[in-house]
Amino acid sequence: MIARRVTRFFDERFGSNAAVRFAVTKIFPDHWSFYLGEFALYSFALLVATGVWLTFVYDPSPAAAYDSVVALSRATPVGYLMRQVHHWSAVVFVAAILLHMARIFVTGAFRKPRELNWVVGFLLLILASVTGFTGYSLPYDVLSGTGLRIADSVLLAVPFVGGFLENVFNGGAFPGPLLLSHLYTFHVYFLPVSIAALLAAHLGMMVFQKHTQFANEPGSVVGRRMWPDYALRATAAFAITVGVILALASTLEINPIDEYGPYNGWTVPNPATPDWYAAFLDGALRLGPAIELRLFGHPIPALFWPGVVMPTIVLAVLICWPWIDARFTRDARAHDVLESASDRPWRVGFGSALVCAGILLTLAAGDDQQALAMHVPVEALLRLYQLLVPFGSLAVGWVAFVFARQVAARRRVGELAAERVVGLRRNEVGGFDAEAPETAA
Amino acid sequence: MGDDLPRTIAPSSRVRAALVVSVIAALAAAFAAATHESAALVGWLAAATAFAVTFAAGARARELRASDVLREPRTRPGPTAAEALPDDVTRRGVFDRFWGLAAGALTLLAVVPFVALARAPRSNGTFWKAGTRLVTPDGTPLRVDDLAVGGIETVFPEGHLTSYESTAVLLRLPPTVAVEGEHGDWVRDGNIAYSKICTHAGCPVALYRQESLELYCPCHQSVFDVVHGARPVSGPATRALPQLALDVDDSGYLIARGDFDTPVGPDSWGRTT
Repeated sequence: MIARRVTRFFDERFGSNAAVRFAVTKIFPDHWSFYLGEFALYSFALLVATGVWLTFVYDPSPAAAYDSVVALSRATPVGYLMRQVHHWSAVVFVAAILLHMARIFVTGAFRKPRELNWVVGFLLLILASVTGFTGYSLPYDVLSGTGLRIADSVLLAVPFVGGFLENVFNGGAFPGPLLLSHLYTFHVYFLPVSIAALLAAHLGMMVFQKHTQFANEPGSVVGRRMWPDYALRATAAFAITVGVILALASTLEINPIDEYGPYNGWTVPNPATPDWYAAFLDGALRLGPAIELRLFGHPIPALFWPGVVMPTIVLAVLICWPWIDARFTRDARAHDVLESASDRPWRVGFGSALVCAGILLTLAAGDDQQALAMHVPVEALLRLYQLLVPFGSLAVGWVAFVFARQVAARRRVGELAAERVVGLRRNEVGGFDAEAPETAA
Repeated sequence: MGDDLPRTIAPSSRVRAALVVSVIAALAAAFAAATHESAALVGWLAAATAFAVTFAAGARARELRASDVLREPRTRPGPTAAEALPDDVTRRGVFDRFWGLAAGALTLLAVVPFVALARAPRSNGTFWKAGTRLVTPDGTPLRVDDLAVGGIETVFPEGHLTSYESTAVLLRLPPTVAVEGEHGDWVRDGNIAYSKICTHAGCPVALYRQESLELYCPCHQSVFDVVHGARPVSGPATRALPQLALDVDDSGYLIARGDFDTPVGPDSWGRTT
């Protein structure tokens, strides 16, 4: 057997069998929702694999960037597929992270002792989105060039340091000569290496602290063995991630830059909407109030509030969520057993409101197209979204809260009814004695 | 601990068949790529490889009956398990706050190279000067009557076709529309010119609502009233588009009478005018 030879080779030199034994006998809790994070991990692997290939053909100079990407897409089916798979992997990566995070959120998996892993996971979401943005900006087509100009304006809107940030971003004023090489460095070195490092920390913490579980047995890890069971399941999860992304990339063309044309600074695509995971910010910029404050004679542009302050507040609340949650539940104990979503109706309510606001802001990034399709003035739709984002989200959050509370109450009634099955026995003096309650079969 | 290895059985013919399918699909994908078949065919054959492996792994997991639920003890460092640390670690006897200051200073030094990335100071300079002709993106100078009434054209200062901050938009108002106020004199035969860079987020203000005489930015739907100095009337923009005062030179070409009246592009902290 090859496996025996290989393991013996390494064991005789490193004593590695102990580590292998630890790895293969590890017990892993199992649930379909635990695969969401894995899908993210495998799409990242695919991103690295295709991304390394793309660096061989991409030219990060403003004059040649667009042509190098178009040439790559047109030359061979492999080149076209590589770009399509890379972009689709990014979409799946961010989507899987968001779903994974939603699962962690509603089941309370972020509670002590796993707060830091929530923080690391959240940083991974931010890095993934920024990597996605820098990545789809690299072709320097008219859509992404416009996106870069907007990002540049948001940087510029930061008080005190805006001009400096813009300068570093561009290597001068927009569109600076170093803009693409800065983006390129970020996209292919700094961000992916940061993601890989944080991923290692994320997975290392998970192995060290052991995975949470739904089984209500706090004293033990209830699950399936790593080898062969989980290894096979993980293989299946990896292969299906690759298969789905390949199928998407071969069927639905994403980011057809040769239809958009190159960026020249004075033409603009219509519609001008970014990739879906950045669209909520664009929606916020559309809905933001047209108010420019002045502080000591310096303008604070309208962009600052929806473009910088809003996302910063949301990110700060989410990143601190484990501690906010502990404050609300007055529960500072460590937990390994997951909660069901309805155990914490207000958590479900808050999460639903946030998701709703995110979806509405994302939809608002297409308000002009919707206005066109529905034959209503875009100004009217804008007003509608300005009302819907705060009030609609609150309403949805409240409905989710009430619904979760109902579910919890109904379950509690069921549990009480089950507890109340008590046997009675006549005693010697004519009264009744309760027998021990029957345990549920 | 589930140390006992589950009974290993030989892979079933289903698993074997799926793996053979994956090999065939992979070879076919490689062949299709080499012969420059369509990307869709190459992609779907590659996807078929992955799906066959998915099926094989799933079927193998099932037939090994390896899915028995097992348990291992969960130990967690709790308050009782936390070992007391040596005194000199927790009392900060070795490194005091001066070491912290030194570490902060070193970190600051590490930031310096990134600050140095900011090179050229931000310029608001455009190439519009008194007497500069307005030319189309292909360099053709424009006469007063070149643009049809109701038309819109992107214009640059002659000789500076790639100057981003100079990008302007020339419109031809109908003769029935009069531009009043101090800028009434900046119009020539209905020709009126504004910066094309939106004062909100810098997108090109490329769309023209002819019937209501409004410029419309497709990025965030800021609307500017062309007749009244391109002041923002709807959307998130707070500042009018900079205007270019126009004149006609001796040869009948449209020229600028100077630079834009206000700074180009979105506002920032550093812009105090």
